[in-house]
Amino acid sequence: MTKMRILSNLAYRFEVFASVGTNLILMVASIFVWKAAYGGSIGQVDSLNLSDLTTYTVVSILLSSIFVCDVQDTIYSKIREGQIVTDFYRPIPLLACYLADDLGGSLSNLVNKVLPLILFASLFFGVPLPASLTGFLLFIPSCLLSYGILWLLSALVGLIAFWVMELGNMGIVKDSIVRVLSGSIVPLWFFPESVQNVSKFLPFQYTFQTPLGIYIGETGPAAALSSMAVQAVWIGILFLLLAAFWKKTKTKTLIQGG
Amino acid sequence: MSALRHYYSVAACFARLAIQRQLEYPLFLFSWLLMIPIQYFSGIWMLKIIVDRFQPLDGWGFPELSFIYGLALLSHGIMVVLFINTWHMDHMVINGAFDRLLLRPMNVFFQLVASYFNFIGLIDLIPGTIIFLYGCHLVGFEWSAANIVKLILVIIGGVLIRASLFIILGTIAFWTKRNASMVGFALAMLERATMYPLGIYPYLIQVLFTFLIPIGFISFYPSAEFLHKANGFQLPSNLAIWTPVIGIVCFLLSQQVFKFGLKNYESSGS
Repeated sequence: MTKMRILSNLAYRFEVFASVGTNLILMVASIFVWKAAYGGSIGQVDSLNLSDLTTYTVVSILLSSIFVCDVQDTIYSKIREGQIVTDFYRPIPLLACYLADDLGGSLSNLVNKVLPLILFASLFFGVPLPASLTGFLLFIPSCLLSYGILWLLSALVGLIAFWVMELGNMGIVKDSIVRVLSGSIVPLWFFPESVQNVSKFLPFQYTFQTPLGIYIGETGPAAALSSMAVQAVWIGILFLLLAAFWKKTKTKTLIQGG
Repeated sequence: MSALRHYYSVAACFARLAIQRQLEYPLFLFSWLLMIPIQYFSGIWMLKIIVDRFQPLDGWGFPELSFIYGLALLSHGIMVVLFINTWHMDHMVINGAFDRLLLRPMNVFFQLVASYFNFIGLIDLIPGTIIFLYGCHLVGFEWSAANIVKLILVIIGGVLIRASLFIILGTIAFWTKRNASMVGFALAMLERATMYPLGIYPYLIQVLFTFLIPIGFISFYPSAEFLHKANGFQLPSNLAIWTPVIGIVCFLLSQQVFKFGLKNYESSGS
């Protein structure tokens, strides 16, 4: 029994170590790509210097660890196993329940994944400080709005599972699109003009680039407030979409197995 | 000879079953068809953006970067097709599927690998081939017979190096019963170390990926040689020979580790 317990605990800790390790690798690799790109000879590109981008990368990876959006997988697996029925019986709104679940995941990640990552990052690349205090104060609400957008997108993809039963990797498809167009790896400021113009009308850049731009001081306070307004608008649009979709879905639920 | 034929027929049967299973849900296939190209094409696109805006990475311009990226993807794709079951060994150990393999009168490792011919993994080869051929075109790769033979050897070696790493990691599941996140970790490491030139990393990491975990031989050293680029370490003789040799050595080593793990294997019960 004791052995089993130790093994399962170890296995669990292994998961955390490995996740921190994976993110660390991503961080180190991207930072060295930027280092190579700047190569000592280039001081600034688009008013960004190497230390801005280092901070940008570090904080971007921290954010991606905090933003837990497992709704799509939750809905999908509940449908596959028919458990969605029992959830429907509960007297609380189902989606709020899943949101609470994800928020819990975010909080626990904050402690056991983000703290070690911050520690490592500070050790290797210096503490990723925000550009200014106002920047930092604006960064926090902007992050919350970002999380809202990401979560709603995730929930929308999850609802597709009600129709098709087998969602496959649509979630990862969405994640890959988000990763590129949110500027979480390469800021959109470096993208070709045309892509930047199109992306202004998509929700993605408001998930990572907006808070990160505020954090490193690329986006000034006034611009920050206006982009936070855009974030709020996107949350409104996505929320209405989700509500409408959800209402339609509930009547169409097909229970598999069970 | 008849044993070989027997093994072949079993593998063929497994493959047919696996393909049918994977085609059961059309959206499943479709989502992979969407996801994998998006991931890799966007990866190379972002490298292009960086190189365009800044400067070549450690002397590697966009043509060379797409060559190395494509070469890395080719060996990744073949590994995923043939050896993907090594990623799921923890799963098999936990739900007892592994015990079933032990009961059959056949090589356990063969059964493990052959029981899942990853048809969907072939999709991984699509962006890999396109990016590689594009890279070849950009760098003016010379398609001489010698080069083609070298290329094939390098790809085989790369597949073996990758597979060995996952076999060794999978064997850990015999003890820990859980290693899915280790697989993710290894994948991230492999991806970052094979798709960029190693030269951008600090000396210590270069040493690590050359001598300790020879990931550098999957794509970096062969590309450096094909493209006549300087690389960090002066290694004697032809690098194209090194990759397959190291691949075979790693693979034999991983087989020993697997056998050792199997000896210590205890069923998860139930």
